[in-house]
Amino acid sequence: MEHIQWFLIGVIFTVSVFALTYLSLLVKLKWYAWAGLITGIVAVLFGFAWAGASFQEGIAQSGALALMLFSGSGVILMVLTWRYLVAPEMNQPAVQDPESGK
Amino acid sequence: MSQNNDSNNHGDERATQPGSPQSGGGKSVSNDEILDDSGRRTFLQRAALGGGGALLAGGAAYGFVNSEIKGKPVSDYPMIDEAIFKPKDQRATVLAFAHSQNLGDRYPERTTQYSRLHNKDFDFQEGFADMYAIPWDNNKPGYTQKDRALQQAGWEPLKVAGSRMVANLQPNTPLHSWDQSDVEKEQYQFDGEKQASDSIKSAARVFGAVKCGIAKRDRRFDYDPLYDPENDRNLSWEDDFPFEPKTVIVMLSPMDYDCIATAPAWTADGTAADGYTKSSVLANQMAKFLRGMGYHAVGAGNDLGSSVPYGILAGLGEGGRNGALLAPGIGPRHRICKVYTDFEFVEYDRPYTWGMTEFCLSCGKCAEACPAEAIPLPASKDGGYGFEPTYEFSDEPGYTWNNHLGIRKFYSDSKKCYNFWVENGSACGACIASCTFNEPDVWHHIFVMGITPKSPAVLHGWMAQLHPAFGYGHTGDPKKAEKFWKTGEGMRTNSDMKNNIGTSNKS
Repeated sequence: MEHIQWFLIGVIFTVSVFALTYLSLLVKLKWYAWAGLITGIVAVLFGFAWAGASFQEGIAQSGALALMLFSGSGVILMVLTWRYLVAPEMNQPAVQDPESGK
Repeated sequence: MSQNNDSNNHGDERATQPGSPQSGGGKSVSNDEILDDSGRRTFLQRAALGGGGALLAGGAAYGFVNSEIKGKPVSDYPMIDEAIFKPKDQRATVLAFAHSQNLGDRYPERTTQYSRLHNKDFDFQEGFADMYAIPWDNNKPGYTQKDRALQQAGWEPLKVAGSRMVANLQPNTPLHSWDQSDVEKEQYQFDGEKQASDSIKSAARVFGAVKCGIAKRDRRFDYDPLYDPENDRNLSWEDDFPFEPKTVIVMLSPMDYDCIATAPAWTADGTAADGYTKSSVLANQMAKFLRGMGYHAVGAGNDLGSSVPYGILAGLGEGGRNGALLAPGIGPRHRICKVYTDFEFVEYDRPYTWGMTEFCLSCGKCAEACPAEAIPLPASKDGGYGFEPTYEFSDEPGYTWNNHLGIRKFYSDSKKCYNFWVENGSACGACIASCTFNEPDVWHHIFVMGITPKSPAVLHGWMAQLHPAFGYGHTGDPKKAEKFWKTGEGMRTNSDMKNNIGTSNKS
């Protein structure tokens, strides 16, 4: 089980790296937006890893609290970052339309 | 690709992203077109950079934790107040006193004072028999016939070997014999001190030690005089001990996490008793190993010298609030044994710190869990950390007879501790089970252990509170006993042991 857990975390990590890379091609973000997203992903992964180890050692309370504290706060951080720092950038026109001037 | 090209591509991509105001009106470019060759290169470059950076950061974190787990050498141990320090008389230890009617008759004031101050009719010498006379209750988890049987089975090999009393500081039992008649005449010569130390530690590993360190003999921590409770006889290092020791090899035998977690139930004493048995065998084997190489050696459990300071001198851990040796990784969940030898061509270990004693100053989980209230709370005078006891009645003349005064450490009232054992019908272990450093060998505990020394002291109290919040360290919970008795469910291989196929590195 332990090996499967680390494998899955590795998969999530790799997908996260690709997703952030793709995002970097789509929009130009401020450094603190990147910091929020990366910290969020690290927190989520940390919570998953902690929870897996806790369930494995038989202390479910530790696993549940880790998911809530670490992964939960990571998700909240990512959602807030996306909503207030990433989404506005994605919706912002970067090239001026020569006809309308907008 | 130049930076200009990069930025141009970036601008194009952002302008034509799906869903943007510019995506319609014939200006839309599909993702396939966005990721043309140069785009793919950019993507892969950034992914490699980002992933590589993340891996580097992870590696750095791993290296940091690994480095912290190794600890830092300290030069200020032991801190001694020479004005009040003197060698410890073995007769003035609770377990030796409680198991000697002769000492009870010689120092009756110890019993009368304790009974008077605590307003109870307590007899140290009768306590031991009373402890095991408490009947089991099969409706009370942790106090059933099965739990009593586990406890007795844990002690049984020592009883068979005639060495049960080593736990009560009896020296020269069969497993810890002072007989040196089997010392080989030829002395094995090592190529170097490191090779000698490595060999000793390799042997310790084979014999089952979870940790092993080598300290120079330190007379300050040897009992003097030694005392033989069974024969009511003082023993001298010079006249009675068979040789002059130069070196003390200190080894730790682990105790089971789930079993000690049942504390203070009788179940917990199962692993404590088993730990005594294993550590006695360990000391016996190491002593024999040294005698086989032509050097004098005597194994010891609680006898001969104070185990905790020797453990610290051997670099195995730090002194904890609960009075135990806190070893990184397992905390106080172990039993200590020692081997005194005249072999001195070794690379000695030295005291280390992992920030654990400092953490104890703010923690106090053991003190909160102690059913006897024998451990000082962080809120007590000097946090309970000083050169002499500050616990209740410690200012009464003669009351601190059991403590070794003059060493800076946490002083607990082991008389109250022993009193609870008698009332409980078994040794306790709550201070071990509740300790924030008593953790299974799993990565997140090692991580926390690694960051503890670098974390500011102001956070330690908060970290200690998180320990029970995360579900660790609760004591007095009947469910723990029920849980323990299911830990063998479906077992075909004991994953606690290494060198079994499929279980390597899982202990």
